[in-house]
Formats: sequence, C-alpha cells, structure tokens
Amino acid sequence: MHTPMVETTTGRSSPMTLTGYQRRAAWHLKLLLAPSVLLLGTFVIYPAFYSIYLSLTNEALSGPAALNPRFVGTRNYVRLFSDGGFWNSLLVTFWFVLGSAIIGQFILGLVSAVLLRRPLRFRPLINAIILMPNAVPEVVAGFMWVGMLAGGEHATLNKIVAWFGIPSQNWLVTFPLTMIIIVNTWRGIAFAMILLTSGISSISHELYEAARMDGATPRQIFFRLTLPLLMPTIFLYMLVSTVTTIALFGLVYALTRGGPGGATEIIGIYIFNQSFTAFQLGFGSAVAVVMLAISVVIGIGYVRLLKVQV
Amino acid sequence: MAAIELNGVQKSFGTVDVIKGVDIRIEDGEFAVFVGPSGCGKSTLLRLIAGLESINAGEFLLDGKSMNEVAPDKRGIAMVFQSYALYPHMTVAQNIGFSLDLKKVPKDEIRAEVEKVAEMLQLSELLDRRPAALSGGQRQRVAIGRAIIKKPSVILFDEPLSNLDASLRVQMRAELQRLHQELAATVVYVTHDQIEAMTMADRIVVLKDGEVAQSAAPIDLYKRPANTFVGTFIGSPRMNLLSASVRRSSDGSVEARADNGWVIVLPDGFSAFDGDRIKIGIRPEHLRLVALPAAISAKVSVVERLGVETYLTFNHPKGSIVARLEGDITVKVGEQVGLEVTENACHLFDSSGASIQSG
Amino acid sequence: MPNGSAKNSASVKSADAAAYGVLAVISLYCAIPFLWVFIASVDSEPSQFLAWPKEWSLQNYINIFARQDGFLWIANSLIIVGSATLIVMVLGGLGGYALSRSHGWWRRPFLYTIILIRVVPPTALIVPLYKVLLTANSVVGGIVRAVMPPDLVRPTMHIFGFIDGYLGIILVLAATQLPLALWIMKTFFDTIPRDYEEAAVMDGATLMQTIRRVLIPLALPGLGAAGLFAFIIAWGDFLMPLIFLSSAELQTLPLGLFRAYMRVNQLDYGFMTALAVIYTLPAVIAFGFARRFLVQTFGGGVKG
Repeated sequence: MHTPMVETTTGRSSPMTLTGYQRRAAWHLKLLLAPSVLLLGTFVIYPAFYSIYLSLTNEALSGPAALNPRFVGTRNYVRLFSDGGFWNSLLVTFWFVLGSAIIGQFILGLVSAVLLRRPLRFRPLINAIILMPNAVPEVVAGFMWVGMLAGGEHATLNKIVAWFGIPSQNWLVTFPLTMIIIVNTWRGIAFAMILLTSGISSISHELYEAARMDGATPRQIFFRLTLPLLMPTIFLYMLVSTVTTIALFGLVYALTRGGPGGATEIIGIYIFNQSFTAFQLGFGSAVAVVMLAISVVIGIGYVRLLKVQV
Repeated sequence: MAAIELNGVQKSFGTVDVIKGVDIRIEDGEFAVFVGPSGCGKSTLLRLIAGLESINAGEFLLDGKSMNEVAPDKRGIAMVFQSYALYPHMTVAQNIGFSLDLKKVPKDEIRAEVEKVAEMLQLSELLDRRPAALSGGQRQRVAIGRAIIKKPSVILFDEPLSNLDASLRVQMRAELQRLHQELAATVVYVTHDQIEAMTMADRIVVLKDGEVAQSAAPIDLYKRPANTFVGTFIGSPRMNLLSASVRRSSDGSVEARADNGWVIVLPDGFSAFDGDRIKIGIRPEHLRLVALPAAISAKVSVVERLGVETYLTFNHPKGSIVARLEGDITVKVGEQVGLEVTENACHLFDSSGASIQSG
Repeated sequence: MPNGSAKNSASVKSADAAAYGVLAVISLYCAIPFLWVFIASVDSEPSQFLAWPKEWSLQNYINIFARQDGFLWIANSLIIVGSATLIVMVLGGLGGYALSRSHGWWRRPFLYTIILIRVVPPTALIVPLYKVLLTANSVVGGIVRAVMPPDLVRPTMHIFGFIDGYLGIILVLAATQLPLALWIMKTFFDTIPRDYEEAAVMDGATLMQTIRRVLIPLALPGLGAAGLFAFIIAWGDFLMPLIFLSSAELQTLPLGLFRAYMRVNQLDYGFMTALAVIYTLPAVIAFGFARRFLVQTFGGGVKG
C-alpha cells in the first residue's frame, strides 16, 4: 500500500482544497495542454463545426457567390440527396471499403498472419516484403500501379495475365473499381497482418495444447479456437480499417482522379472535385458533413468496442 | 534538530476523509514507525509530512515552525520511495547526486559527496552502473543514498523493504538501524509489517482509519495496548479476545465469565460493576497447559508443531482461542486439555474496545 | 499423440511447402511494383514496364538534382514534414503528460474528443480548413505588406503564409497528427510512476527541471514512437500539399512526382522512378522503426 487506496479510486484533492505547490502544479498542467488545445481548436474542431455552417450557404470559390455568399438553408442537402454523383460516390465508397478493407486486406492479412506463425526460414524477408506497400507514400503507390496496370501488351500485368491466356487490356479503364480495390488491398495487407498477428499471439499457448490433448485437428483448432478468440481483434480491425479507407484520398486520386466517368469517385474525391474543381464550397461542405457523420458514428462504435477507459 | 509535531492534521480526497485529526509528536532523532493495515492513512500521513500532499486542516510543525505552506524540497526532508524511483537513465552516482546537481553544486564537490555516501552504503563499486544493472538490495541502498546526501533532518521511508525477499529484509533492517544511529536524523518509517515496526522503532504510531490508535514505545504497545485494535494488531499469533461478563462475589473477588464458558479471575483493584460486559485479551503466549482437572479445560481442534514451539487452536462458536506453547508438545486433535492463564497477563477492555486495565 | 515422429515431420514439411507457396504469391503481389520502380530507376533506358535493364545507370538520380529542382523538393518536404513532426512531438509530449497527470473535469471529454478527431477524415475538413486558412492568410498578408518592402512580400509570404506558405501547411499537418501523438504520450506517461516526479520534487527540481532532466529522458521511447508516426503520415500525405501549395518554389516531393506523371505527353520514367525511390526511402526506414509500436497505437485504448 504505497499510495492510499482511496486516492486511486476517488482521485486527488478537489480543487477547493489545493494549496501552494499543488495548486501551482494543477495550473501548470493546463498550461502544458493549452498549445495543443489551440492547435486542435483552430485547425480541426472549429473547421468541423464551420463546415456545418458552410453547408447551409452557397459559398463558392468563384462566381457571384464567392463575393457575397448567402444562407440557403437545407438547399444543398436537398440537392445532394437528389444528386446522382453523390449517390454514385457513396456506392463506390461502399464497394471500395467492402472489397479492399473488409475482404481483400482482411483475408490476405489473416492468411499471412497464420502462415507466418510457422518457423519458416524466410519469415523475416516475407514479413518485410508484405510490410513494404504499407510504408510507401500514397502518390508513389498510385504511380507504381499506374505503371503495373497500364494498357498495351508490354505492360507488366498484361504480360503476367498473358501466361494464362487473358488478352491485354487497359485495366484502369476496363475494370476501374476492381483495380483500385486491388491496389488498396495490396497496400493494407500489412496492417491487417500486424493487428491479427498480435491478436493471435495473445491467445494462450496452453489453450492450443489443451485442444490438441482433446484431439482437435489443425483445421478444427483454427475454426473452433483461433477464429472465435480472435473476434475482438477482427472487430477492431474492421472498424479501424473502415474508417481509414473511407478517409482515403491520395492513393485513388493518384491512380484515377475518380475516373473514368466517376467509376472510382470515392467520397473523398467527390468532395475534392465538388469543392476545388467545381468550386462549390457550400455543396462540398454538405457532402463533408455527411461523411463526417458516418465517420463519427463508426468512431463511437470504436470507442465503445475498445471500452476506452480514459 | 528536528522534532515533528502534527496538531489536529486532517486530509480528505474529495469526500473521503483519509486523515481525521491526527496528533503526533516525534522527538528529535527518534526512529518512528507508522504502522497499520492497508488504507489506514499511514502513507498519506507520510506524504503530508513530505509535502507531496497538502494539509486540509491542522498544522505540521518541524522544530516548532509551521511547514504547511513550505515547498517539499525546502523542508529539509528526504524520502525513500517504495518503488525506489531511481531514474533509469542515470547512473548510480548521478542518481545520488541529482539533488546537488539541481542546486548547481560544483561537479567535483558533488563527486566527493557522492563517494562519501557511497562508502557509507557500500556502493563505491557500483557508482557507474545504471539502476537496471543492480540487485534489489543495491537499488534500495541507492535510494537511501539519494536521501541522505541532502543531509536531511528528517528521512521518510515508505515501505522500503516491501520489495525485498525475506532474508534481505532482515539484513536491511539492521543496516537501517545502523544508519539511523550514524546520521542522527529523525526517521519516519511506514510499514504494514509489525515485526519491522517492533524491531526498529523507538516509537510506534499505530494508525486505524485515519486516526491514531496508539503512539508509544514498542514494548509499551505490547504490554499496554490502549485498545483491542492495537492489542490484536501487535503480536503474532494475534491476541485472543473473549467477550465476558463481570461477576462480583460477596467476598469481594471479581471474576469474568467468558461467553465460551471460561472463568477468569480478575485482579483485585478492578473497577467494574456486576454484570458489566467486557472484553478479555489473552496473548497466545500467556496460556499454558496444566493437568486436568483444571479451572479451564478445552478440546484441541488444530495442532501446529513448529518444533521450537507449538500452536494449539481451540475452536468454539463464541470465539476460537490460540495458545502458543514452548517446545514440541505432543497432544492430539480432539484431546481435552487443561489451560491456565499467566498471572496478571490478561488485558481488559470495555465493550467499546478501550483499555480498562487497572493502574 | 498417436502420430509417429516420421509421419509428423513429413506432414510438417508438406504444410510448410504449402505455406511457402501461398506466401510466395502474396509476396510477389506485394513486391512486383517495387521491383519495377527500383529497376527502372537504375536503368539507362527506363520504361513504364518491368524489364531487365540493358545497361545500369545512376543518371536518373543525377538528373533529379542536375536537370530538375530535386534538392528544392527534398528540402521543402523535409522542412514542412520535419517542422510538423517537431511540433507534434513537443505538443504531444507536454499535452500527453498533462492528460496523464491531470484529474480535472475536462480530462475525460478531452480524451474522447481526441479519439473522435482521429476518425475524422481529412477530406471532410478541407473546405472549412481552406476558408480558415484563407482568412488567416489575408490577415498575415496585410501585416506583411505593411511592414515589408514590396519585393520581399512574396518570399516572406512563402514562409509565414497560410495558403501557399510553409507556416499554414506545417500547422495543418501538425494538427492532423497531434491527436495520435497525444494519445500515445498519454498512454506512455500512464506507465511511468509518479514516484519519479515526486522524487524529483523532493530533490528540489522545478517543473522545467523535472521535465528536462527526468521526464524527457524517461519519455524518449514514447516520443520516438509519436514522432515516427507523425513523420510517416505527414511525409506520405498528398491531400494537404495539393490544396495548400501551388508555387513552384514550395513544391514538395509528392507534388513533384504527381505533377511529373500528370504531364502525359512528356513522361520521363527514369526521372519519376528515381524520384519515387528517393521519396519512399525515408518513409520505409521510419516505418521499419515504427513497426513495433503499430499494434500498441491502435490497441492503446484498451489499456487507456
């Protein structure tokens, strides 16, 4: 009993009773946090609320509205929900998240995590190779894959599929959505693998030994033991990767800039295009508010899942 | 010179009163031990003296001067933390000399002081090591070194031996006592271990629920516990407590009839009325076996033979009794034996638990 | 186990072979784009496609610095990302300490806010952020024009401007990375016992001395992790420079690369691949260091 029990359960002295050195110390703490509050307040929190206001105006970067923006009420939202481009971007984002984060990255990450538990000789090398795509900047990733997926029979992917008798094509034009899913899967295997590896290794070794004593086969051990025990980690992964994938911009922008014809216009690109290509800041803000709301809902799920104790 | 005086000291965390008006006086050069069960407030009291917590009410005087508003480092008090709190990124020498370094004492002077302290603590060979490369006992000594280099008038110890193994603890106990004599500083030492308290202290302060249960020399505490709490807290196995009623006979003799059927003759001068409810405290070592038939007889429930002594437990729904007997006694479980209480060894408490020992 | 050891080792071998087969496919998928970029960057006749060079050459790298403003782009990236990282480490360290040690009523809402900020997509903020920076920029511009001689206004605005200036993008990048750093540092300080600070107080250290002599050395691993993550994400970020930087003098590596391959009719693959390698290298190195912290960062909330 080094610090009194009561202290840890009820917290330290109430501000009323602090004296001297302690009151100074409490004041110091607020001072240390002040610059962070200022920075976050100015560049994150105020803009987040400001976007709600902007979404109710016809603010624009050019034209008459740029000089004299007006309050237009919910007109942006009305337009938004009848706008084909908006629904298209939501749908594209949905398939993108489902295909890359929920299915592609997760399955390949899980397979890699499970297989790399074996004491293989080349384990460190394979590990490093799988991690590389996660480390590469988004523009470089986009640039790499523009090359990989280019048209013409000399293009790298076309040469590979030629072995299987598949005709050459310009992949980013013929299968744009599938391709950005493949590229983002490539980029995110590592994150899934790292998270799932830590989840798997936190399962007690004795459980596996007990299961083997009970006569379970490796397949049974995986599906009846590993997978159920991994569920919290899997949920955590799904939430985090969904949030980050919704927020994605640079990778897809560098690959396709949302094209062709909006086929890869995920919501981040849609906001960018509406705001900085079509210069409609008010309308872009309305989309941003919808996106913000979706992310915050998932974020609250994340907080509750982690049972964050702060 | 450093006499410690706490006058009506109170401390609460939020709505929880941890220290509820404590008066303690510790003389200059005394080795005082605060002892008590978990949550009794002994560590908080120590931190109040250190200045790490502020006092809500009452006063803390050091040599007659109020310390309530004095910063921790200006009180002339050093503290040895339970975790030792040795800075892991500094060597032993840097750890010990840190307070001097902060005061901008010249480097060579610091080195000389550090070496002096290190020699006293047998740390000279270890000065360039980091705490991670030290054993538990060595870390303990570095923590002490860091405290004594400041030449404090008071050194505070917060359960310093609780992280050491048993044999090292015995050794460090002796070493701490030696240091105390050498330094001639007032020591306040917090522990929950009554053996540490009994062996080292000049004065023991027993704390219970944020109040002083008793403050006295160790042997006085053992011989004259002020209440049942102190009586049962000090001594092992713990003091047996029997609830009883007082009976005054017509011939003037007074006896107590315990609820478990035992009858114990009380000393003559005992002032109580017929029918008073009291508690009788009998230390296990003050019971001995006698041949049957005897005034007290009981059935043995548990026998623990330790070789040098034997513990017998007598279970009873109105309170079990433990006897601590010298030597190896070969009685069997279930056997009926006669018992006798050493003369004048009973401690008598009123129904609230306060001592009513006659003069 | 009934299985004999011979049968066991045979089944282990075939399972290992299967594992290698699957992992080889995944590894190729991951590695081929890198192979192309790296090989093309040292090819004297680079193309858009993976091919073995006829002649090796470092000319592509030399060209970045000799024929283009490679140094400028690297310097701009380092200044912007480096400053943002530094700000994040300082503010994250101080704020994380405060969050760990404080018991004020504001602590809990603040921490929840930080977690929610982490899920806010940057793309959702760019429009209002642009407006905020536009306002700040015109304020700074007014001041600069008032105090600076006209020929120095443009260079000064490149440093202190909020749109198309270092200051604006540095602060924006720092703000977007700060929540993670605060969280990492708060969690880290939670693991450092208060005893150290109290021992320092007893030793007579002031708050600044405690921070400098005791807390910073103890917090170095945490600060390192926070700094690495801030650096990696800010280094790889493309959105903010795309929106907030336009002058050629302020071009950073991602913009340089992006603009180079958007010039469809004059693509120089040697130049682009070499630039990609240069741009990627710091990120990969930093990622190598940061890897072991990755899990703790996302699971960090569990321990809180």
